[in-house]
Amino acid sequence: VTARGHYLDGRTAARQAVTVQVVGAGIDIVFGDGHTARWPLGEIRQTQGRYAGEPVRLERAGGPEALLVDDPAFAVALADAGGHARRFHDPRRRRRRMLLTVLAAAGVLAAAVALHAWGIPALSGLAARWVPPAWEDRLGSAIVEHLAPPGRRCPGATGQAALDRITERLVRAAGPVPYRFRVVAVDVDVVNALAAPGGHVIVFRGLLERSASPEALAGVLAHEIQHVLYRHATRAILQHASTAIALTAVAGDASGAIGVALDGASVLGAMAYSRAHEAEADRAGMTLLLSAGVDPAGMIGFFDARDGAPPALVRYLSTHPPSAERVRALRALLPPEPRTFVPVLDEEAWAAVKGMCGPRRAYDRRAVSPESR
Amino acid sequence: MPENCPKCDAPDVSDEKCPRCGVIIPLYKVALAKFRRAIPADTPVAMPVMSPPDDASPAPAPESPGSRAAGPPAPRALAFHGRGGTLLGIHLVNVLLSIVTLGIFAFWGKVRVRRYLLSQSEFAGDRFAYHGTGGELLVGFLKVMLFFLPLTLLQVAAVLSGTPQALPVMQLVASLAVAVFVPIAIVGARRYRLSRTSWRGIRFGFDGATWAYVKLFWLSTLLMVLTLGFYYPIYHARSYAFLIAHSRFGTRVFGYDGQARAAFGPYLLAVLLALPTLGLSTLWYVAWRRRYYWGHTTFERARFRCTVTGGRLLGLWVVNVLLLLLTLGLAWPWVRVRNARFAFATLAIEGPLALDTIAQGSPAADATGDALSSFVGAGFEFGA
Repeated sequence: VTARGHYLDGRTAARQAVTVQVVGAGIDIVFGDGHTARWPLGEIRQTQGRYAGEPVRLERAGGPEALLVDDPAFAVALADAGGHARRFHDPRRRRRRMLLTVLAAAGVLAAAVALHAWGIPALSGLAARWVPPAWEDRLGSAIVEHLAPPGRRCPGATGQAALDRITERLVRAAGPVPYRFRVVAVDVDVVNALAAPGGHVIVFRGLLERSASPEALAGVLAHEIQHVLYRHATRAILQHASTAIALTAVAGDASGAIGVALDGASVLGAMAYSRAHEAEADRAGMTLLLSAGVDPAGMIGFFDARDGAPPALVRYLSTHPPSAERVRALRALLPPEPRTFVPVLDEEAWAAVKGMCGPRRAYDRRAVSPESR
Repeated sequence: MPENCPKCDAPDVSDEKCPRCGVIIPLYKVALAKFRRAIPADTPVAMPVMSPPDDASPAPAPESPGSRAAGPPAPRALAFHGRGGTLLGIHLVNVLLSIVTLGIFAFWGKVRVRRYLLSQSEFAGDRFAYHGTGGELLVGFLKVMLFFLPLTLLQVAAVLSGTPQALPVMQLVASLAVAVFVPIAIVGARRYRLSRTSWRGIRFGFDGATWAYVKLFWLSTLLMVLTLGFYYPIYHARSYAFLIAHSRFGTRVFGYDGQARAAFGPYLLAVLLALPTLGLSTLWYVAWRRRYYWGHTTFERARFRCTVTGGRLLGLWVVNVLLLLLTLGLAWPWVRVRNARFAFATLAIEGPLALDTIAQGSPAADATGDALSSFVGAGFEFGA
């Protein structure tokens, strides 16, 4: 096959019209003045011409020379000369390559879904088991430091003592645990509570004030304690970090990794539990309540209050499974025969808990509200 | 060899440039020759030409009728041939291979994308070429990692060792490190990317001193803070002037003769009109900026001309946003192609241009700056 093309010598931007011919083990380039240069196939690299409409560009190894040929017949001849090693791109294979690309697309989708749904959760679950409780404790301290700085904590000592009493009763019912549990009340008006790794539980003012009974509050605390014991927070953090790293690796863009590094505490605080984790904590929390001898009606009532609930409560519930489904699941765990329950707090202690954050004042919701993270 | 200037007849000119009238003598002669069509264009030029370039042949080459104009004053066409579907396919394969190779392939994937975009860009009938390699990018990445990884690990260590008080300090240090590297990354990325780009076998290049740009960047940042941001257009213009005036093609440097202060008026107008136009006045400022910058950018004796207008930019932008919204972002390869096509279609280069005489410069730059730019988010935008 003889084709017309252009030769670039790599020394000036002038291009020379040439005729090119594929000859056995190389190509012959015939210049306008009649002289011929032979490039052995082994020294030729094709850098353009993979895509439809793109002329073939051949570069000679170890030099700046290049050859441009805009002729499909030449591309085919070259591919044939290259043989099975597929040294050169064959335009006849484009259709097949497109099919492979579509398959790759399906593969990417499947891989992404599998990684997100099973791969990363399973791996972080495995990894979380190997994180020493002491590390979890320090990680949790850092999060509490960030979300509940000492200046924003509720000062009521009697209320704090009552909170500690509920926690102690629940933890004792859970049996031997590797963590020392601490509950911190924060002066932020949201109906929410959260569990940081290592036994740190944060409850917000809104939750204390709007819980109908000490039993309802104990239900929420049991739920959070189980989050800690199941290491849900640690798993969520590992999941978050590994997802960011995976995305960075795939995108080939390192700014994501630096983002993780710069975010620091806010990434540590990014703990969104999956529905499965919530359901697990619900179930285990209910069991814990029952074995601690606390009346579960309060906990169920808390979730049941969703219909017609104040907006703040809806917000709390919105990060959790639908409450009707939740209440149904909780009711299913109730013991068949009636039991006698020991009250969690007396009237006086409950009042102390409700008032432990002091009189209401103008809140700066932006400061520590978990929704703003 | 001393001779008389062919334009103003100044005697005994030994330099390439005539001291009296400022004309570049070899180029003037080439233009004169082409104009007269009497003598072959390639004889009296600065660089020896190996054989007659086909541009100078008296009759247009038969295989490309009309694709390249014969006379020097004709504008040379820029075109972008890329297709969104192909670009998407390249990305999909890259993502899959990156997953399979635990991210290592991403560097080679990046090369594929850059090579495609440049190979689809055409000027005066010839396509650009990209010469970077995945290995280079990987090495650059590792070098930058060597610096940034300890910063990240220190923060993790601070938390796990029970001293979270040190965290804010470390974050500040990391932020400062990123900020310090922004101008270095801008220059480094440009140096690398231009040195790996060629047209007709001749590499582009960038010779600006990193330190000079760092000074410009930080001085401007300081002035921007002091002027509550109103220094921004001046900074942008000065930055552009620095970056373009130290860029070269082969051995020839691009020129810039714009005034930084000219950008202030249009910018002020855009800021004043931002509220009533819901921010759309920005597009008109950007269009003005592109026209002004390109209109004052020269190469040898040729000058660029950009015809972008605010209205056309708005049209491009509206369709882009709609495409992205309707496809949940999947259309972004098409958006990228549309942007490149638009940028090329609104750009022309006019005036005498003796491209055939341009000689190869020195390609020297490593990929560290390019890797750095991906860390600190200071990009080298294609087609902008």
